[in-house]
Amino acid sequence: MFVWSVAALPVSAPAADLEVQVQGQNATAVPGAVVTVHLIGRPTPRPRPAGSYIIDQQDIQFRPFISTIPVGASVMFMNHDPVRHHVYSFAPARKFELKLASRQQNQSVQFEKAGIVPLGCNIHDRMIAYLAVVDTPWAKTADAGGRLVLRGIPAGAATISIWHPYLRAPGNSVTRVVTLADAKVHAESFIIPMRPPPRDPGTAY
Amino acid sequence: MRPSSFLIALVRRSGPVAAIGALLFGLPARAADPAETGLVTAYANFDLAAVDGPRSWLDEGGTGKVRFGNSDGDALRLRPHATEAGIVLQPSFGWSLSGLVSVIAQHGQDKPIDISEGFVRWRPLPIGGIRLNVRAGIFWPPVSLEHGGGEWAVNETITPSAINSWIAEEVKVGGVEANLSTMIGAHRLSLTAAGFELNDTAGTLLTFRGWALHDEKATLFAYQPLPLMNTFMRRAQDDETWPMIDLDHRIGWYAKFAWAPPGLFELQYFHYDNRGDPQVMNADRQWGWRTRFDHLGAIVDLDAKTRLTLQAIHGTTIMGFRRGATARRWVDMRYRSAFLLATRRLQIGSREGSVSGRIEAFGTRNRGSVVLSDDDEIGWAATAAAHWPMFRRASLLAEALHVDSRRDARLREGDDPRQHQNILRLSLRLRGVFGD
Repeated sequence: MFVWSVAALPVSAPAADLEVQVQGQNATAVPGAVVTVHLIGRPTPRPRPAGSYIIDQQDIQFRPFISTIPVGASVMFMNHDPVRHHVYSFAPARKFELKLASRQQNQSVQFEKAGIVPLGCNIHDRMIAYLAVVDTPWAKTADAGGRLVLRGIPAGAATISIWHPYLRAPGNSVTRVVTLADAKVHAESFIIPMRPPPRDPGTAY
Repeated sequence: MRPSSFLIALVRRSGPVAAIGALLFGLPARAADPAETGLVTAYANFDLAAVDGPRSWLDEGGTGKVRFGNSDGDALRLRPHATEAGIVLQPSFGWSLSGLVSVIAQHGQDKPIDISEGFVRWRPLPIGGIRLNVRAGIFWPPVSLEHGGGEWAVNETITPSAINSWIAEEVKVGGVEANLSTMIGAHRLSLTAAGFELNDTAGTLLTFRGWALHDEKATLFAYQPLPLMNTFMRRAQDDETWPMIDLDHRIGWYAKFAWAPPGLFELQYFHYDNRGDPQVMNADRQWGWRTRFDHLGAIVDLDAKTRLTLQAIHGTTIMGFRRGATARRWVDMRYRSAFLLATRRLQIGSREGSVSGRIEAFGTRNRGSVVLSDDDEIGWAATAAAHWPMFRRASLLAEALHVDSRRDARLREGDDPRQHQNILRLSLRLRGVFGD
């Protein structure tokens, strides 16, 4: 289970909603794509953590595969498996390791720097997940249909960035500049080149 | 065979296998993962086998190629067997150090129980994106793409290919192995290297018996029977071979490179050289064999449910002294084999089973001064198998295997050099995993 929401700072300026659809080149949805919006010509406010941020370990997998959390948030790593996990990250944004005994549910990690944080398990090579730690209040992970809605973005110029670990582009990211009009629902559609996921390492080498 | 006779025969033949089977039904279990630590796995395999053709090289000292034989000749004969049982301990010592000890009992094994594998494994956290795995002890080199898990079992078929049957029976080492793996972009690269001993007799079975297809595995203290050799070799070589002994104190080595680009396939190259001294013999007339081979492996996933597995091997082995005008060693043999295995996964209720088909070819060619062309061999085999995980702790496998081979040396046993052999097997596998 994973529940969270990034609460935007109160804004008095005219605002717009942004609907984003992310698809691969064969028109299939890209669930898990991380969409972030940064304002142009104005400072983008810092997000305010709110809600619960949880990454489960269940059936020898991280769930969800991709999460978006605001800078400053703490994530609870909950091991529901009857075996132990040795969770680690060597990302510049956050280096850590957690030794989680079987069915242990109480270890959390705080993320103070924005960036992509790949997660692994030192016991189970096939366990991989990604945390997108974002420095904007307008960010979300696309749903199963590759869709999401970001509300209350100040009108004006902004950049929309799409990130996915299998996006075939420098930094696994593409960016588009848009101008958002006041009190409008702005729709953007992205068709992004995807590469196949890495192969499961299996148990032999 | 009447059901009551079958049950009586099964219990009579089972021994420790039946004991572990009974234990499995009495203990709780859950889904297992072979990568785990801190676990205890107990398993037992029972077979119904119908086989025609000659007696098995393994079971009855014959010239047949498969696990079980048939003293009745060409008629299919149905027999129950308690094939294999074992206990696999996977202790952890802290978070980076773990171990594996596998103790097994097998049909035809000369010791009631024996050690299959035993090693410690060091697996520190990755550094700079590079993962290091080190293991030290007794283990199989990473050649087989059919075996896996803590008990090193074949999961999609009952009988492994000729290549992996040989690896299982004669290519097991005691040594230290290091593996480095990393991701470059979405490409996984892996390099493995090892130094080892305890594998000086590798090549003996392959030379004197040729290739075979069976699921009996080498254990630490066990021996394997050899078929009738030529007159010279019967004096020089014992009629049994010990797969895991060291005679010359030379350290052998192997290395493997694996590349897995994103998507459909992965490729592997493996080279083995036991660096055995071919002129060394011990008091039990066990000889050193200089055995080398190159191996290619590939896995191709046609879709999420369909996988092709390909392995090909080519190697040489030499043994004995130089002799005669050619100054060739007593044994100078080349061997090769390849197989293609196709597996389709099927959803059966809430569980995933599979159907598989495998085709393979194998051969050996002798040009030594003592072991001559009558020990050459050529053959092929075809396998069809289905795997049905009936319950969480029990699965059923069915397999039909046909082997066609020619080997003139069978005349020494009074057997026809050309053999066609069929074996049908139904295997019940019980498995429980406990602990952590």
